Amino acid sequence: MSNWGMQKAALGERLTAGRRHAKGKIVPLPSLPAFLAAVIRSGDRVCLEGDNQKQADLLAAALANLDPAEISDLHMVQSGVVLPAHLDIFEKGIARRLDFSYSGPQSARIARMLFGRKIELGAVHTYLELFARYFIDLTPNVALIAAVSADKDGNLYTGPNTEDTPTVVEATSYKNGLVVAQVTEIVDKVPRVDIPGDLVHFVVEAGRPFYVEPLFTRDPAAITETQILTAMLAIKGIYAPYGVRRLNHGIGFNTAAIELLLPTYGEKLGLKGKVCTHFALNPHPTLIPAIESGWVDQIHCFGSEVGMEDYVAARSDIFFTGPDGSLRSNRAFCQTAGLYACDMFIGSTLQIDLEGHSSTVTTSRIAGFGGAPNMGSDPRGRRHPSEPWLKAGAEAAPDAAPALRRGRKLVVQIGETFGERNAPLFVERLDALELARELKLDLAPVMVYSDDVTHIVTEEGIANLLMCRSKDEREQAIRGVAGYTDIGRARDAKLVEQLRQRGVIRRPEDLGIDPLDADRRLLAARSIKDLMLASGGLYRPPSRFRNW
Amino acid sequence: MTQVAANNVSLSWYEASARQRIDALVDAGSFCEYIGPELREISPHLSIFDLPEQFDDGIVIGHGRLDGTPVLIAAQEGRFMGGAFGEVHGAKLTGLLRAARALRQDVLILFDTGGVRLQEANAGELAIAEIMRAVIEVRRTGVSVVGLIGGRAGCYGGGSLIAGTCSRLIVSEQGRISVSGPEVIETNRGIEEFDSRDRALVWRTMGGKHRYLIGGADTFVDDEALAFRQAAIDALKIKRGCDTNVLEAEQNRLERRLQRFGEAEDAVDIWQTLGIDAPTEIPALPTDAFLRAAKRRENADDAR
Repeated sequence: MSNWGMQKAALGERLTAGRRHAKGKIVPLPSLPAFLAAVIRSGDRVCLEGDNQKQADLLAAALANLDPAEISDLHMVQSGVVLPAHLDIFEKGIARRLDFSYSGPQSARIARMLFGRKIELGAVHTYLELFARYFIDLTPNVALIAAVSADKDGNLYTGPNTEDTPTVVEATSYKNGLVVAQVTEIVDKVPRVDIPGDLVHFVVEAGRPFYVEPLFTRDPAAITETQILTAMLAIKGIYAPYGVRRLNHGIGFNTAAIELLLPTYGEKLGLKGKVCTHFALNPHPTLIPAIESGWVDQIHCFGSEVGMEDYVAARSDIFFTGPDGSLRSNRAFCQTAGLYACDMFIGSTLQIDLEGHSSTVTTSRIAGFGGAPNMGSDPRGRRHPSEPWLKAGAEAAPDAAPALRRGRKLVVQIGETFGERNAPLFVERLDALELARELKLDLAPVMVYSDDVTHIVTEEGIANLLMCRSKDEREQAIRGVAGYTDIGRARDAKLVEQLRQRGVIRRPEDLGIDPLDADRRLLAARSIKDLMLASGGLYRPPSRFRNW
Repeated sequence: MTQVAANNVSLSWYEASARQRIDALVDAGSFCEYIGPELREISPHLSIFDLPEQFDDGIVIGHGRLDGTPVLIAAQEGRFMGGAFGEVHGAKLTGLLRAARALRQDVLILFDTGGVRLQEANAGELAIAEIMRAVIEVRRTGVSVVGLIGGRAGCYGGGSLIAGTCSRLIVSEQGRISVSGPEVIETNRGIEEFDSRDRALVWRTMGGKHRYLIGGADTFVDDEALAFRQAAIDALKIKRGCDTNVLEAEQNRLERRLQRFGEAEDAVDIWQTLGIDAPTEIPALPTDAFLRAAKRRENADDAR
C-alpha cells in the first residue's frame, strides 16, 4: 500500500460536497434532499438511527425520497426497521442489503419483502451484537442520527432518549464516516453535550421532535387475574428464594403485574430491600408505585419512555441523569449491564417447545430480537459471584467442586398457557423453524435458547429446568406446567408427580398460594391514572393511554 | 380473599363485578336475587353461534334496601359480552320495571353495556323498546328510576337510550355515555372525524365529566362504591314523576343545548362556552376541584 489516508480523503470529498448545501454545519431543511444526494454514494453502508423507541424519522423520509437512478445498492445497518420509510428504501431499490436487530411494527411487511427477495438479508442481531459489528465488519460510511438540539458547532443534546446515538457516532465518526443529525431545534447553547460537535459533520433543523414510540407503557387496567397469579408465583417461587436483587424485566403484562405487586404482595412477604433493588430497565410507568414506596435503589436505562421525563428528572436518586436534570440513557451500556451485572431476566414469549427453546416468530412475522437474547442468556464471561448466581449454579451442577463451578444467570420465561387469541404457548415445533426453512436461513430465529432458560412460569406452576437431569425430565417438566395445551395434556402424569415431589415443578399450593387470591385489588395501581397519581402528577401519560 | 389483604380501602366501581357493585351499594345483606343463576335462564341464541352462555345472562336483578328503604335493583355484568342486551337479559329488566310499577318501589339500574348483542339483535332491539316503555310507565306512577354509570363497558347504544329515559343519572369520571361508540363512529365517518384510539378524546367527548357538564348526567361522583351509594340515596329523595310538562321541558332543554353548542368542534370548545376558566384543565381536575369548576354547567333539573 502506498496510498494511506484514502478514507480520510473520501470523507473530505463528502464534506466538500455537503458544504455546498450548508451554512457551516447547518443544512437548511429545503436543501436536505440535494444535500443527502451529494453526500451519500451508491453502495454505502448507511446507519439510519432508530430502534424500538426513538427514530430519525425526518432523515428516514429524506433517504426514502432519493432517486434510485442516482443512488442505489445501499447496505443498511440499523437497530430498528420500524417506520414505513425504512422499508420504502428497499421497495424503491435505493437499498439492497439489510443487517438489523428489531422490526416490531413492520414485522409482517419485512417478512413479505424477504419472501419476495426485495431485501437481501445479512442477519438478524441482538442490539449489542449489531453494535459490536459496527466496530468490526459493519462500520457505517454514513450515519443519520437524531437529537433534541444542536448548537452551530454541532454539539448535540439528545435529551432522555440518548439510546444508540453515542455508539453509532463512535463507530462512524472515528472511522472516517460522515455523521448527519436531525435536531428539533438549533440553539445557542445545548443543555448538555451528549455528543461532542467535532464528531458531528452536519445538522438539519427539523422544527419538530423526532418520533418516539411509547413501547414500555402497559396499562394496569388490562392486567388479568391469570397474569396476577403468574406474577405471584414468580415473586414467591423465584424472586424470594434466590434473593434476586439485580435484574431486567422484559416487556409485557406479566412483568408489569410483578412490578405492581411489589408494594402489596411483595411487602406482605417481607421482601422489600431483599429483591428488585437494582434494575437494567427502561423507565416503566408500572414501576412507579414500587419506586415511590422505597423498593428500588437504582435503575439504568436503555432509553426513556414517553411521559416519564419529568418523573425521572425528579428521581435522580434512582435514575442516571445529567447536569441538565434529564435522564441519560445508553443502550449499549445498559445491554452490557443487563448481560453481566444482572442475576435474572424475566420476560414473556410467544412459543416454547419441548426442549425449552422459545421464539416470538410466527410464520408471517419477523419481529427481530431487540435486546431480549442478551438479557436472556447466561454470560459465559462472567466472573463475579452473587448469591442468586451461585445458588442457580449449584442447582444445575450439585456435584461439581464449588470453587470451580460456574454460577448461572436466572433466565425465566413467564406466560399464560394460552396467550393472545387463545394461541397455545407450548408447541411441538417452533414456527421459527418453518420460517428458517422457507427463507433458507442457517439459523432459526430463536429468542432464548433451551440451554439458557432456567425457569418457566405459567398459571399452572413453576418448572425449574436447572434441576432436570435428563432430556426426558426436562420435557416432562415443561409439559407439567403447560396446562390444557396439547403439550400439557400429553404429559406423563406419574413422572410429573415425581418431579413435583423433588421440587422441580411447584404448583401454587406447593408455594402456599391460593389462586383465588389473584385479584386485581392486589395491584398497587389499577389504571394509568393511578400511576399518574402515584407519581404525584409527574408522570404525563400520552393521550392514547388516558381514560380521563 | 383468603390470606392476602386486598387493596380494599375502597371498591372501585369501574373494576367491580355486577354482584360486587350490588353488595357495596345496598344495605349489608339486604339483597335478594330474582331468577338467579341457579335457574339457568340462559340465552336461547348464543349456542347457535357457538358462544358461551352465562347462567344469569349477564344481568343480576332483585330487591334490597337502600338506607332502610326498599328498592329494586338491576346490575349489568360488563364482563359478559360487554354487558350487551339479549332476549333474556332484556326480559329480566323489563320484568323488574313492571314489578316496580305494581309494587310502587324505586328502581336502580347499574348500567354497564355496549348496547344490543349482535347475535340476538332483533330480540335485543325489541327489549330496548320494551324497557324504555316500562321506564316511562313506572315513572308516570311517581316511582323513580335512577341510572348509575361508571362501569368498564360504559353505557352505549340501546343502553344509552334507556339511560335517557331515567329520572336521574349518576356518573363517575370513568363512566361513558353515548349512543354510538368510538369505533362505530370511526368506522362510519373516518378517523378524521373520530380517532377511537385517542382515549383522551374518547373520554372528553363521552366521559362522565363532559356528560355532567352538558346536563347529560345529574350527579358526578368518585369512582367508589360508597360515593355511588350516597348519590343514589340522595337521588331517591327527589320525586318528580313524568308527565307532558316534564317531557316538554326536556325537549326544550335539548333544543337549547343544540343551539348553544351545535357548532362546537370539540368538548373543550363547549367548556369554554360554558364560561369555565382553563377548560383544557378539566380532564386533569380531581373531583372537588372539578365540581367547583362545574358550577356553571348545563343541567336538566326541570326536565327530569
